[in-house]
Amino acid sequence: MAQRTAKQRRADNARQAKLAQLKAAERRRRARIWSVFGAIGVVVVIVLIMVGVKLGTGSGNDNPVSNAGAAKVAQQVTSVPASVFAKIGPGTVSNPPKAINGQSLTQDGKPKVLYVGGEFCPYCAAERWAVVAALSRFGTWSNLGLTTSSSHDVFPDTPTLSFHGASYTSDHVAFSGFETTDRDQQPLDTLPSADQKILNKYGVEPYVPGAQPGQPPIPFVYFGGKYLSSGASYDPGVLKGLTHSDVAKAMHDPSSDVAKAVDGSANAISAAVCKLTDDKPANVCSAPGVRAAAAKLQ
Amino acid sequence: MSTTRKASDETGTAAWPAAWVRPVAFVLAVLGLVVSAYLTFEHYTGSKTLACSENGVVNCSAVTTSSYAYLPPGAGSWHPPVALLGLLFFVAVTVLCLPMLWGRSRGLDLLRLAALGGGVLMVLWLVYAELFKIDRICLWCTSVHVITVVLFGVVAVAEALRPLPVDR
Repeated sequence: MAQRTAKQRRADNARQAKLAQLKAAERRRRARIWSVFGAIGVVVVIVLIMVGVKLGTGSGNDNPVSNAGAAKVAQQVTSVPASVFAKIGPGTVSNPPKAINGQSLTQDGKPKVLYVGGEFCPYCAAERWAVVAALSRFGTWSNLGLTTSSSHDVFPDTPTLSFHGASYTSDHVAFSGFETTDRDQQPLDTLPSADQKILNKYGVEPYVPGAQPGQPPIPFVYFGGKYLSSGASYDPGVLKGLTHSDVAKAMHDPSSDVAKAVDGSANAISAAVCKLTDDKPANVCSAPGVRAAAAKLQ
Repeated sequence: MSTTRKASDETGTAAWPAAWVRPVAFVLAVLGLVVSAYLTFEHYTGSKTLACSENGVVNCSAVTTSSYAYLPPGAGSWHPPVALLGLLFFVAVTVLCLPMLWGRSRGLDLLRLAALGGGVLMVLWLVYAELFKIDRICLWCTSVHVITVVLFGVVAVAEALRPLPVDR
């Protein structure tokens, strides 16, 4: 009897040990499953937090591309009346495109204007208004963004447009615009090798006085191999203290300093583009403002 | 049947992974491979035929031609394109997700999980770059991101459901 009891006790102990092992295994299994769902949950939460922060703060680099006002500003900048351009002529353009005998640059069979700049750069900020206004006479812009130049450079917080993510279509001329850094000087757009070669070749002396190899000058605007512009076409100081909307509105007022600077530069840029397009379209290239500004091309 | 399952459960050799895991993982891996191959093709052809909106926040070419399309961000031979890295990643993951390789060796199973874990970390970096650096979203890239995270989930769940051996 006593022997049978001991046998039963050993069997009970074995069963209990086995049960404990199974429970421990089940606990480990559950812990593993929860850790997997936890890891997936962490990933989802991180993505949701990033989206939430983005929606709550807008652009992380202070580039208000989604600002509803961007479309209105772009619409104003690209619809300056011909009469205003005519009245302004060369305006106060101080650094018009210079003639060069450079390598031809085309895209889809059309001469190409290549722009290289950076969103932090105040001179680029000034130049973009004129480039956009000029090219809007030859084609159509879409998705132009708004930004401001760096807060820690000369002409701080100069309001401007951005070519980052913008596109341009025209029957007469192609355009490629690259913002190599954002306003915090963090990398942004990368140039295709063909455009980079143009920048490397023509962004130096003697084409750009004072330019150093390895330090591409910006803004850099290459007009199909026939003209080159580096630096702002006018004094960025005329934009000081203005909002994007102020600049866009002022471009329609021929008596404003902004119109004289920006529209005058746009006329000079238009004249350079007309040299690429064989004076097409005629209504632009024969416009009095463009003809007057053409005389300023060096 | 129940006897076989019980016996295999106890020895940690139950049918693993679950029947749905192998085909689902393989299909997801192939999908990721196809989309990343497309993005790599577009990268090396200038993104001229990239089928994607170019208006507003969704703008694939703005993303695929940005400096963040390289790792590390920038340009030059030391900055391989993210699209190419994604393609190589999915080639490896597709091989690792071949149905006959599941449970072949513990090392392969862990390598599959680790690779996809690394892929998820890369996805987090790319989503951050799109949202806060480029300010644009690339839908094709997003589809690859979703595939990577879901595939990681499938593989991780399969690993979690792997029967534990019980000491005897």
